[in-house]
Amino acid sequence: MSEAAVALRGVAQRFGRKVVLRNLELELRPGTIVGLVGANGSGKTTLFSVLSGLLQPDAGERWLFGRAADEVDAQARARLAYVAHATQLYGALSARENLRLFADLRAAAGLSTRPADEVLLELGLSPEALGRPVSTFSRGMAQRVALARALAARPELLLLDEPFTALDAAGRGMLSRVLLDERSRGAAVLLSSHDFDALIQICDRIVLLEGGALVRSVEHQGDRESFRRRAAALWQDLPADPGDTMVAG
Amino acid sequence: MRILRQALLLLRSELRQELRDFELLLTAGFFTVVLLAMFYLSFASLQARAHLSALPGLMWLTVAFVGVLTLTRVFDREREADTLRALLAAPIDRLAIYLAKSAMALSVLMICCAVLVPGLWLIFPAGQAFAELPGQTALLALLGCAGYVAIGTLFAAGLATGAGKNTLLFIILYPLTTPVLMYALVTTRALLDHDPALPDHLTRMFVLDIILFAAASLLFETVLVGAPARRPERPHRPGRPRGPAEPVHRDMSRETSS
Repeated sequence: MSEAAVALRGVAQRFGRKVVLRNLELELRPGTIVGLVGANGSGKTTLFSVLSGLLQPDAGERWLFGRAADEVDAQARARLAYVAHATQLYGALSARENLRLFADLRAAAGLSTRPADEVLLELGLSPEALGRPVSTFSRGMAQRVALARALAARPELLLLDEPFTALDAAGRGMLSRVLLDERSRGAAVLLSSHDFDALIQICDRIVLLEGGALVRSVEHQGDRESFRRRAAALWQDLPADPGDTMVAG
Repeated sequence: MRILRQALLLLRSELRQELRDFELLLTAGFFTVVLLAMFYLSFASLQARAHLSALPGLMWLTVAFVGVLTLTRVFDREREADTLRALLAAPIDRLAIYLAKSAMALSVLMICCAVLVPGLWLIFPAGQAFAELPGQTALLALLGCAGYVAIGTLFAAGLATGAGKNTLLFIILYPLTTPVLMYALVTTRALLDHDPALPDHLTRMFVLDIILFAAASLLFETVLVGAPARRPERPHRPGRPRGPAEPVHRDMSRETSS
């Protein structure tokens, strides 16, 4: 069996007195897509921060690409890409300039990146939009640029925090196709979403994060309909949250 | 070399954005001019001897105010869209971020000094030493501002990762930059007095700057993402080797009713 892209063992994270992640166990293998679901405040974004090296876990072990990662060094960061809930783009720069900045920074570290225009067009941006400042973009367009920046790096581990946010139906379909392509390429993908249908269509496994711990998971075992039924059962166990609009399809 | 190239790329991007909105320069520059006008109205009628005593204080007081204004805004572009986290998650040497931001803040402060120092000389004739010794004056401004920026950028970055904590910068920054500003003030007095010990003062400022930049560089990554937790050596559980080779996430799919 191939080496895990990510393995967390007993990871805990607290902010002050609030425990956000507790005794968290997770493994992602290359060529798999894992969906992360949980109510608001269940610790999803914190988990992404720990995986991408933006947070140092208070306890537990973090393994990335087969190596213990007490710190997520530049070498490990070169192999992963993180798309956060916020687009994290420079508004005064154009879509092309945003991607080129990160491509140039990678090139300075001896890393290759796909051409900015190629990825942006692949993600559905019009050629006219590539040179416009991102501040003039709609949220959905900015989300496509953020995704393009991540995909341009050809990451082995793709961390996506609510990637379907603000995308229209065509955009969600396009992203699903792109993620399936990434899986075929051998990338490990962890994504959080409240979009049940999108997750069911592309995920190999869905895990439920509750109170900072991964409490249950369902795995696709060849039959998509059975996967849907079992995932729907898990979905219904999500704690009610008036801010969420999670509806099993 | 890689760090330097990445720092230059980030600085180029900073300058490109600044040239599109002049946000930092306009704020800092306008504030400098306002302070100069206030100094003129308050102190121009004093005697020349009083000018000589007041000039170093006025110069570095302005740098302290304009500096904190610049430092609170130097990470604004990152704060607006959380871009700093994108940089931190990218395979960029984090020291490059520190160097680029420091260089940007220093550039803004030096441009303000290019307005401030001639302004002080024009308002207060006792400051003619600024014109007589332009090289030393420029070096003094550079070294004083660099020391200030070395510490300031570190804390501005730390506060940029949290939300709405800019007020803390004032509380943290002033006590920590006081030694730099005080020494810059002493050196300015030496310059105005044509003190032969001026080169020694400038050398000490240079050494102080090196120490501050080195300390801030060492701390920068820890300030932003925290230090790795010390993992207590856990007892080895029999039959359960450590490491990622073993599946560590319990597959519970069968626990869910199908």
